[in-house]
Amino acid sequence: MPNILEAKGLRKHYDGRVLLDGVDIALERGSITTVGGPSGGGKTTLLRILGFLTEPESGRVLLDGTDVRTLSPEEVRRRVALVAQAPAMFEGTVLDNVRTGPRLQGKSLPEEEARRALERTGLDAQLLRNDARALSGGEKLRVALARALVLSPEAWLLDEPTAALDPERADLVVDLLRSLAAQGAPVLVVTHDERALKRLCGRCCTLAGGHLQADGRE
Amino acid sequence: MSYVNVTLVQLVASLGLMALAIVLSARDGLGLEKDMAIGTVRAAMQLFAVGLLLALLFQHEHPVAVLGLIAVMVMVAGWTAARRISYGPGTGVLFRYATLAVLVSGAVVLIPVFTFVIRPARWYEARLLVPISGMILSNGMNGVALVFERVFASVHDDAASVEQLLSLGATPQQAVERHTRAAVRAALRPTINALLTVGLVALPGMMTGQIVSGTAPGQAVRYQLVIMYQLVAVAVVAGAMAARFARALSFTPQKQLRSFDDRARPLGPPKA
Ligand SMILES: Nc1ncnc2c1ncn2[C@@H]1O[C@H](COP(=O)(O)OP(=O)(O)OP(=O)(O)O)[C@@H](O)[C@H]1O
Ligand SMILES: [Mg+2]
Repeated sequence: MPNILEAKGLRKHYDGRVLLDGVDIALERGSITTVGGPSGGGKTTLLRILGFLTEPESGRVLLDGTDVRTLSPEEVRRRVALVAQAPAMFEGTVLDNVRTGPRLQGKSLPEEEARRALERTGLDAQLLRNDARALSGGEKLRVALARALVLSPEAWLLDEPTAALDPERADLVVDLLRSLAAQGAPVLVVTHDERALKRLCGRCCTLAGGHLQADGRE
Repeated sequence: MSYVNVTLVQLVASLGLMALAIVLSARDGLGLEKDMAIGTVRAAMQLFAVGLLLALLFQHEHPVAVLGLIAVMVMVAGWTAARRISYGPGTGVLFRYATLAVLVSGAVVLIPVFTFVIRPARWYEARLLVPISGMILSNGMNGVALVFERVFASVHDDAASVEQLLSLGATPQQAVERHTRAAVRAALRPTINALLTVGLVALPGMMTGQIVSGTAPGQAVRYQLVIMYQLVAVAVVAGAMAARFARALSFTPQKQLRSFDDRARPLGPPKA
């Protein structure tokens, strides 16, 4: 069975600086991978390439064995969830935000499902009718998780998901990521958070000098 | 009714108005004297040149000459619209699209009117074609410039949301719908306001001109109404086309949001 998400030989540079110099990565079904490394080392860039928001200069990204460039970009992005470091909230309520993905496909998400998705991220469903843009950073992150969750993505990419959370909330998010992985969707997490790293029990990698290397610690 | 001529001497006498403006500007420290002085000379040179050109054109009225002049007007309008854009793919690229939008919107609005509404004795009658085309094309030009300026800038400022929408499976159209709609609305505002308030405060320039030169007010009104409707239509067509072009230019073939400079992207590291 092919890996759900896989990249081969990714190269990318900005302003004459090489960020990715032939990076290979394979996200197996149900796996958790964490990526650390120096600031400005290209971690976010790697996530953006895997999430199909940025084009690498060379290399391929395969989704379930198929080159993503042969699929429709919309489909790839629905199937691969990308949760940004400080996720943008759309105008409207939390509920509107969680309903965005289905709405883009002309579907209407029942409120009950939105509520359930929010509860899985540890966000109080009381906030459903609140203005999403007025939430705290940590709450926004959980809305972003719920917003992606309702699309049932096949793989997850997260950029520093615990950075804005207190340890208790961070643990909740880590638990959620572990349960997503347990259900089969591989999870790739960019993080420096030692506590999260330990609790995620993932394969740890470091992106530095354009290369992605396994740390040899689990 | 007879036409009242302005002699050159009388024209020179009217320069007294500019002298008054310049003196007042200097006295109140507005710092506009230089611009006013240059503007006085420039406006005179530009208008005399245009006047000569038109006189020449009227004397030797020929379809090729008339269409040629209109073609130049379209290109200048496209260039002017493209040049004003502060953030975007660059004047060279925008020029082609702006010119196309001005050309198509102008044709859509002008051809039917000259065919069925204001019907010149000869289809290439410069006296009608040139000034009316000028008004219509410049409104199309303003629409294109406004839409380009707003779509590129607002999509860039809001790139985090746009990319977030893409991430959730939005098409480029869905991802920038808010921005293109707001831009077209803003571009139409001045023309629609003019439509709503025309005649209440001031008479429009063309109607004023016709009345001054002896046209019966009833006819001048009819002309003006046709022009107003044309101005609205050209703005809508030009704005809608410019919005589609701007959207297409904002994304790569893989439907990724393009950045037109090296400012860090929203998902990138926070800039110090
Ligand atoms: N669109 C872009 N245009 C130009 N440079 C860019 C662009 N995106 C990223 N960069 C540059 O690439 C480098 C790597 O950025 P990236 O965000 O991938 O690093 P990172 O590993 O996520 O860093 P951090 O840990 O600080 O978040 C940075 O120097 C950044 O300025
Ligand atoms: Mg980063």
